[in-house]
Amino acid sequence: MAIRTEELLLNVGPQHPSTHGVFRVVVHIDGEVITSSDPVMGYLHRGTEKLAENLTYTQIIPYTDRMDYVSAMTNNYVLCHAVETLMGLEIPERAEYLRVIVMELQRIASHLLWWGTYLLDIGAMSPFLFAFRDREMILDFFNELCGARLTYNYMRIGGVKWDAPEGWIEKIRNYVPYLRQQLIEYDALVNGNEIFLARLKGVGKYSAEDAINYGLSGACLRSTGVKWDLRKDRPYSIYNRFEFDVPVETEGDCYARYLIRFAEISESLKILEQAVEQFPAEGETMGKVPRVLRVPEGEVYVGIESPRGEIGCHIISKGKDKPYRLKFRRPSFVNLQILPKLLEGETMTNLVTILGSIDIVVGEVDA
Amino acid sequence: MSDGIQKDQPTPNVEPVIEAPAEPVQLHVWHQLLVDRVSQDAVISCVPNAKNNDLITIIVNPEHFLSTATVLKNDEQFQFDYCRNVSGSDLETHMEVAYYLCSMTLNHEVCIKATTNRETPEVQSLTSVWETANWNEREIFDLLGINFTGHPDMRRIMMPDNWVGHPLRKDYVPLDPEV
Amino acid sequence: MKGILKGMGVTFKAMTDKKVTYAYPDVPINMPDRFRGIQHFDPEKCIVCNQCARICPTDCIQLTGKANPDPTKKGKVIDTYDINFELCILCDLCTEVCPTEAIVMTNNFELASYSRDELFKNLDWLNENNQLIRQENNSAMPKKGGEK
Repeated sequence: MAIRTEELLLNVGPQHPSTHGVFRVVVHIDGEVITSSDPVMGYLHRGTEKLAENLTYTQIIPYTDRMDYVSAMTNNYVLCHAVETLMGLEIPERAEYLRVIVMELQRIASHLLWWGTYLLDIGAMSPFLFAFRDREMILDFFNELCGARLTYNYMRIGGVKWDAPEGWIEKIRNYVPYLRQQLIEYDALVNGNEIFLARLKGVGKYSAEDAINYGLSGACLRSTGVKWDLRKDRPYSIYNRFEFDVPVETEGDCYARYLIRFAEISESLKILEQAVEQFPAEGETMGKVPRVLRVPEGEVYVGIESPRGEIGCHIISKGKDKPYRLKFRRPSFVNLQILPKLLEGETMTNLVTILGSIDIVVGEVDA
Repeated sequence: MSDGIQKDQPTPNVEPVIEAPAEPVQLHVWHQLLVDRVSQDAVISCVPNAKNNDLITIIVNPEHFLSTATVLKNDEQFQFDYCRNVSGSDLETHMEVAYYLCSMTLNHEVCIKATTNRETPEVQSLTSVWETANWNEREIFDLLGINFTGHPDMRRIMMPDNWVGHPLRKDYVPLDPEV
Repeated sequence: MKGILKGMGVTFKAMTDKKVTYAYPDVPINMPDRFRGIQHFDPEKCIVCNQCARICPTDCIQLTGKANPDPTKKGKVIDTYDINFELCILCDLCTEVCPTEAIVMTNNFELASYSRDELFKNLDWLNENNQLIRQENNSAMPKKGGEK
């Protein structure tokens, strides 16, 4: 006697711990196997782009903090960088170094958070605690630098708001060897674990052609063997002064993406080490900026490498102190597009593995 | 954001090489190529954007948008296989969509644009060329109301399905002014 | 199996580590000086220039001025000053533009209340919020901009 089966429609989310926010996937399942899926988003849509049209450029900066809220520094930077490109502003060297230092610290903090929560999704509890312990230290650095732990509002058009406080650079210098030591432990803790490997290897696999066609960026793209990092390929700020590698894997599965993000922490530490070493002893942290920012008429698109991929900012200015149109290219949003394709034919348990490996932040998906 | 930047620059303190004079040459070559491969009237204008590191910006005839995009992706002199960004904007006199393209193999970039009217905005969908465009076009449809013909799944993506109006339009009146 | 045991080793090693958690509500947390907490407002210093209300990205500051009661002095003095902490995102922009440091950040951050109405703070409340005021208010940000 054959068992009668029926297709079942299941809502994963919007309130589900592994969707990392309010994100919903409607999945059609046949037994344990997903036959099709439809991501539903917009629960966190605040209309940042619309709000920005009625705000001056300085006022937009705190709003960018709230898009990708685990990587606010890179969001701050992309807006400032776009406006500075349009205005042709010179940024003082000390400000550039501070920017790179905070952006790389942010990349580490973001990857640590991802590392902890991803393993928590898969079922490992203790890495989460370790990751948060080390991320907490970075948040404390930021708290000391700009007075906030998550929504920094640190960068300004033409420079940064605060100079590094006394002894701050020293603390970063000491943090680098500390985290290196921790990474060795984390490697021993997780990366050889057989259960972990069985859950990740070969899951959520795609080819380099697919990755490029879907416009993936960041670790999602580099996991397929495409060596594409905007810090190297479209150098911005002062990244061409530092030596670092771009980790690349060729498998294109969840494990490859895991390894890349893990390796990127070490690469960011390398940059930090050099930046702290080259940090100018003195200098301005704010360039010559008119009191009322009037951005010349024109159009600009800039993209930078955020922890999640290419975050871009497209500004159309009509010569006012407010943007005429502001559009953010949000890496989480673009990377998420490949999800329905990856989920087809996978089991329900792998949904969590695959969604986590894309590394989305719903504040950024919905903007 | 110009061409000629070598991958893996090993030496620090070296400014990225910006081949400023090379740009206009490329400009005419590309223009001519598009005229040859697509159609005589495919390109409306083709200028470098001085504000954006001389990024070549091509305004394409909307009737030939899809065929131009196909040529840009497949022609071996272009090979624009990667779509970086898709933006739509309401310029009050007309609507505009911009695609920022990039070639991974040849390491060059371009921006293509198509314009449409505000009353019945319609642009050919490029989802069949770059899969990236899929959700981005849905977002533009949702927030600006531009209809992409040939799009496989033209639904709202951010706003609820029963929402009235398109928020990013300049004449949009917010439902609740308090919010 | 080897990998699991290796991982267990790291976990057990952590048992002897120093505690990193805080006993927060029982022991207060000291924030660094630059911390952006609830604003303190000094009506004596305010010149009613309206800059804080104008820079506020969420429009949460409302203020009114009145003519100086002392007829020998020119200018205005502050009459009412309200911050709506339902909206305030503590972004620091109001303190950044204030030319006289009439509005400054403090290290206090406990704002939770049982009613939304309580989040509407007026001049007196903000004036009394005078503990742990931020020392370093002249940030690296030049207040006059490039024109001097």
